[in-house]
Amino acid sequence: MEGQPKPRPSGSKIFYIPGGETLLRIDPWWGLVALVIGLIILLIAVSPDPFWNITRFVRDGIVITIFITITAFLFTLVAGMLGGLGRLSQNWFVHGVATLYVEIVRGIPLLVQLLAWYFAFPVIVQQIGQWLHISALAEYQANAIFTAIMGLVVCYGAYMSEIYRAGIQSIPKGQTEAARSLGMTHFQSLRYVILPQAVRVILPPVGNEFVALLKDSSLVSVVAVADLTRRGREFMAVHFNPIEVWAMVALLYLVLTLFSARLVAWVERRTRFER
Amino acid sequence: MKGRQVKPIIHIENVHKYFAKIHALCGVTLDVQRGEVVVIIGPSGSGKSTLLRCINRLEEYDSGRIVVDGIPLDTAENINTVRREVGMVFQSFNLFAHLTVMDNLVLAQRVVRKRPRGESEKVARGLLEKVGIPDKALAYPIQLSGGQQQRVAIARALAMNPKIMLFDEPTSALDPEMIKEVLDVMLALAQEGMTMVVVSHEMGFARAAANRMLLMDEGLIIEEATPEELFSSTHERTKKFLGKVLH
Ligand SMILES: Nc1ncnc2c1ncn2[C@@H]1O[C@H](COP(=O)(O)OP(=O)(O)O)[C@@H](O)[C@H]1O
Ligand SMILES: [Mg+2]
Repeated sequence: MEGQPKPRPSGSKIFYIPGGETLLRIDPWWGLVALVIGLIILLIAVSPDPFWNITRFVRDGIVITIFITITAFLFTLVAGMLGGLGRLSQNWFVHGVATLYVEIVRGIPLLVQLLAWYFAFPVIVQQIGQWLHISALAEYQANAIFTAIMGLVVCYGAYMSEIYRAGIQSIPKGQTEAARSLGMTHFQSLRYVILPQAVRVILPPVGNEFVALLKDSSLVSVVAVADLTRRGREFMAVHFNPIEVWAMVALLYLVLTLFSARLVAWVERRTRFER
Repeated sequence: MKGRQVKPIIHIENVHKYFAKIHALCGVTLDVQRGEVVVIIGPSGSGKSTLLRCINRLEEYDSGRIVVDGIPLDTAENINTVRREVGMVFQSFNLFAHLTVMDNLVLAQRVVRKRPRGESEKVARGLLEKVGIPDKALAYPIQLSGGQQQRVAIARALAMNPKIMLFDEPTSALDPEMIKEVLDVMLALAQEGMTMVVVSHEMGFARAAANRMLLMDEGLIIEEATPEELFSSTHERTKKFLGKVLH
């Protein structure tokens, strides 16, 4: 039977301090997060003129980036679940639709998808509204953040579908058979037997998707969303100091991604040993 | 054996099953009476598992008829009803890997039988006592020996109060020293009057518990007899097969 708990990755031996075992429970990579934050503070302290100004200017961009990433990620989890279960469906129509979705979306660059959602999608809605004489649709104005999140969810949902599918398929068939032989319905065996086990298989790649989504969210800067990247460009356009701006923006992204990666690793460790 | 005139609890009539080109069941007909213990033997690939799996519809059959306790296996609703009444024990145990022994026994009672937690746990504790591992309620399957896992699997099936128990080679994945503890549980169950269909080559168990033995080969039941009759059979294929099993 599967599910042998993997041995815990025991920190690294280089960091080994006799008697300091409890300290080592803290993932040494948190040090890297601290280092980058330290560097940012140092830059701001030493030369506040561009660096503090840049930080203040892009602050609301950071909020937008985090908001978009988290919102899109939550919807992606749902979209991926639907897509993944669709891919595994016995029903040929559901299976076909899910497969088509995954294959088409994964074959088109995210940037092109975002541009289509922002520029083409509203026009399509307006034209449908005109044909059907529904004024609410005919006068539809796209909200940039909404279409950006939509674009990210549709795209990442396709990749997530494959992760769910693989995770569910990795659970031995005997588990479903045992559940069904006890009289559980298809849904009950998914809900109580398969998904709780699949979650642990799925979690590491899902965590990676979160970090990737965070980085790819910078693409929404080209479709009128004032995220961290776009705010950086706006600052540069006024003050003409590309080196400082992009150094600062890059460091801020690094803090976000390193922090998320640590968070993901922590969640993984927790769920691996609990139950 | 009980009288033939009694309505059988399992009625299998001319069942055929194909896996693509493979003809796994070639028209199997079998009645099992209430309280009867039937042991099925036969070479690997002869369709024993497939037959067992058709009885609770883990496998769909292509033609023929199966009626379990008066319920024909045709609609999805009937299939779930039948599965509730039929317990199955697998060669590979198939305990739910993410749940403790207790939760393995409680889960289906709660979601299928809708029993309250307290009552489900009481049933579970009683059954763990019965299969001889009352102290393992909080262990996870992976922490148990194969023999213990299989006994938990039996208890899990019994927790649903099945009318019929199916066993598919329940001891063939076990180390020899663990086989007896599982067979003892099965023997006790047989003596309590449980209807059992058992695929197993444990001849000691068959001799002690079986009312009837079936020999399957190439998707057909080729001989049907009491253990005594079968062991002294003059049937060519039966002799050949028993020669292999009995060493
Ligand atoms: N899921 C399956 N897909 C394809 N062929 C199968 C499947 N299950 C069983 N078979 C085939 O059906 C025949 C009967 O198998 P089975 O019932 O498992 O035999 P036994 O349990 O007696 O060893 C074999 O030829 C086997 O290869
Ligand atoms: Mg078999």
